[in-house]
Formats: sequence, structure tokens, C-alpha cells
Amino acid sequence: TLQLIQNAAARVLTGTRTRDHISPGLRPGVPSVRPPPVFVSPTKLASEAGSQVEYLGANRVPDLQKVFQRSDGVPVHLKRGLIDKLLYRTTMGLTVGGALYCLVALYIAAQPRNK
Amino acid sequence: MAHQAHAYHMVDPSPWPLTGAIAALLMTSGLAVWFHFHSTTLMILGTILLLLTMFQWWRDVVREGTFQGHHTPPVQKGLRYGMILFITSEVFFFLGFFWAFYHSSLAPTPELGGCWPPTGITTLDPFEVPLLNTAVLLASGVTVTWAHHSIMEGERKQAIQSLALTIALGFYFTFLQAMEYYEAPFTIADGVYGSTFFVATGFHGLHVIIGSMFLAVCLLRQIHFHFTSEHHFGFEAAAWYWHFVDVVWLFLYISIYWWGS
Repeated sequence: TLQLIQNAAARVLTGTRTRDHISPGLRPGVPSVRPPPVFVSPTKLASEAGSQVEYLGANRVPDLQKVFQRSDGVPVHLKRGLIDKLLYRTTMGLTVGGALYCLVALYIAAQPRNK
Repeated sequence: MAHQAHAYHMVDPSPWPLTGAIAALLMTSGLAVWFHFHSTTLMILGTILLLLTMFQWWRDVVREGTFQGHHTPPVQKGLRYGMILFITSEVFFFLGFFWAFYHSSLAPTPELGGCWPPTGITTLDPFEVPLLNTAVLLASGVTVTWAHHSIMEGERKQAIQSLALTIALGFYFTFLQAMEYYEAPFTIADGVYGSTFFVATGFHGLHVIIGSMFLAVCLLRQIHFHFTSEHHFGFEAAAWYWHFVDVVWLFLYISIYWWGS
């Protein structure tokens, strides 16, 4: 695209038309030679290959949007089902257990040291 | 589902503020227990809980925004204000350490030899690794801007590559700084020079690591198509944070490494 822009700019600056640079064919009297076919099948440009050439996986956002927008009253932190529930319970377990452990540790730490 | 008659986000009830608060309690009490009773259990438990909280809380924010569509323009505006205010608070945090540095270095006491750098301190040459570090962070500022423009123009591959390059530069900075710390001829215990140097650059290094993690999450989200060319605030927040980290380094370099040598 950048090359096309530069070409257009050059044409504007020099006042030439699009195909002025192509000579009008071989000099009369010179026999033309058909070049041997190099490519058997036509090559495809990247821009013709479809809207998106896949790079690092396909887009799964629309599917995830469907999952998370289900009207089931489940809060967002549990919406994905079992894995969310397990992670939540582990975290809550550590929270409650940790808080109790902390209170015990602080109680012990507050005891006077008898020499 | 009940439909709201406004564009704001009424969040679902969430347990993460509670788990985060308990994590803070465990980390701080754990620190005290470590100091006095040589046991790191409580502190480590607190850190694990903090990591679990951060992961699940921010995962939920992504779900609410990208998958549930709750981040309408007014909501996004609030998120922008939030990030700017947070970065401002971090600026004040660093301001304190710069204040400490200038307090000690502008009027060096007789105990230091009445000069700065203090007697006996061999400073690092500001034109060696520190200058390279400056170049690395400035370059990463360019690559993160390149990533932003790639996202806005819908250039998926370029966005991924430039964002990955930014993160690589961040890791390179951290690696170089770690080497410098190892090889430095002075330690944090070497008077007020050592204290100001390692506390200021140390907190900066921590922020580089945090910023790199934030950008890494953005890279994963970009790969998974979360960002659109019009709506990619998570990335913008990470880029703002990264520029902030870069600016703090420039101040550190000029004040401590260059003027202070």
C-alpha cells in the first residue's frame, strides 16, 4: 500500500498518467517470443485469501460472550462452573483458615516472655 | 435478566475484597512473626492469598468488560480516572524517596566527609550499564506506542510482535539491573548513599516487573482477540503505567546516577 501511495505521489509531482511509463509494445518488425510458463497454478495474493489469515488461533470471544451472558443468576466469579467453584473454595478456605491461624499466632505473640 | 435504565455498572457481589483484605492482614502479621519468631508460614500464606485474589479479581474485570459488555463509555471514563489517580499516587510514593535523596545529598553531613558521593563510596559509571538501561527503556516506550497504533489500526500480527518486543525489553532491563546489583561495589548498608540508592532503584525495579506483568497479560488478551481497534482500555492502562515507569527511571538516572556521581 505504501508503494502505491508513493507511486501516486510521484505521478502527481511529475504530471504523468498511470501507464505512461509502459512503452507501447515491441518495435515493429521484431518477432515476439512467448515466455515459457513458469507457474503451473496461479498464485494467490494474501488479500484474496479471505478476510483474516489465521495467526495464533481463532477468535473465541463470541462464544465466551454467550457463556457469560446466560441469564442464570450466577455471579461473574462463578460463571464458568466447576473450575471457578474450586478456585473460589480454595481461596475462601485459605482466607478463613489463614485468618484464624493469624489470630492464634497474634495471641501467642502477645504472651509475655517469662525469662 | 432485569434491564437497567442507566449506563453504569452495578457489579455482582464479589468475595475478592474480603480475601484481599485478609491477605493484607496475613502478610503484615506474617512479616512481624517472621521478624520475631523466624517462621515464614503466615507471610507466605498471605502472599499466596494475595496472588489468588489478584488473579480472580482481575479475571472478573475482564469477564465483565469483554464478555458481558459492562464497560460502556461512562464506565470506561471512570476506569480511566481510576488509573490516572492510581499512577498519581505512585508518583507521590517515588517523590518521597527523591526527597530523601536530595535531603541527604544537597547538604552532606560531616559523617559522610561533607561531600557527595560520600567518602569511600565508588559510584557506578553513569555512562556504562545505566546508560544502556536508559536506552532500553526509551526503546520500549517506542515499541509500546507502536503496539498501540497497531491495535488501533487492526494490525493483529504487528500488535502482537511489538507488544512482545516491549515485554522483552522490560525483561532485559530487569536482567541488566540485577547484574548491576550483584556487581555493585557498595551495598544498602553503606550509609545513606546505599540506602537512598537501593531503596529508590529497588522500588523502581519492582515497578518494572509489575509493568512487565501487566503488559504480558495484555499480550495474552491481544492474542485471544479481546481488544478491538476502538476499545482496548486494559492495554492503554498498561501503556500509561509503562510510560510512568520509564519517566521515573529518567529522573533516577539524572538525579542518582548522573548528578549524584
